[in-house]
Amino acid sequence: MPANLTLPPKRFALALGAVLAGGGVGTVIRDLALKLQHVPTGSTDWTTQVPWVLLVINVLGVYVATWLLRTALRAHDPNDPWRLLLITGLLGGFTSYSSLVVAWAAIWHLSVPIALGVAVGSLASGVLAAWLGLRHHP
Amino acid sequence: MTLVLVTVAGALGAALRFVMEYLVRRHHPTRRPWATVAANVLGALIAGWIVYRLSASSDAHIHAILLTGFCGGLTTFSSAFAVPALLQREHHWGYAAAIVVATPVLSGLAFALGMSITLH
Repeated sequence: MPANLTLPPKRFALALGAVLAGGGVGTVIRDLALKLQHVPTGSTDWTTQVPWVLLVINVLGVYVATWLLRTALRAHDPNDPWRLLLITGLLGGFTSYSSLVVAWAAIWHLSVPIALGVAVGSLASGVLAAWLGLRHHP
Repeated sequence: MTLVLVTVAGALGAALRFVMEYLVRRHHPTRRPWATVAANVLGALIAGWIVYRLSASSDAHIHAILLTGFCGGLTTFSSAFAVPALLQREHHWGYAAAIVVATPVLSGLAFALGMSITLH
């Protein structure tokens, strides 16, 4: 069990700072990467609404997070500053669940079965990335 | 300028998720990450509201700051799968599966709820 679940004020400030820094950097990298794919609004072609870049971002994020939590960050301290900087902040900001749901909803308006298929595919990619992250460690 | 504000909003979203997780695990010392699920569901709710209720009254910059920035920072795909993967390794199969299934189902419902919220 993690030792210190309640942080003293100074360590809480450090923890918050680590999450803010990591979250900001992760978000800006995602924002810039998402500009690689133009998703047209009002398109009736569902293939243009599949968020390929976001799917790649999310899969990468799951893989790296799982791998880190199995290797360098394997001590299960949720308040470890490195874990907060990299997992909660950087990879949490880099990946996005909300934008994925926005994309599912856009496809839902065109075809419910296709939207469900894309949603299941998105989840399968996350499970696969986590599985690879668990396997590929020294 | 928008890029800076998206970054700041993303940092604040991630900080809110951290505070939710911190408060939950401080009072309930368990590694089962229901606060992360809650952050994703909350982010989806806000996203539904932004996409369907805010779109008419705001420009693309505000959209990007709130949706890509704040909601994107608040929600996480990496922890939504990495943490269940570790739970599964510790033989908590049920919890891991529940998180992986509950997150998209609850987020989808929250998104639809967000679509229907009207603020006056």
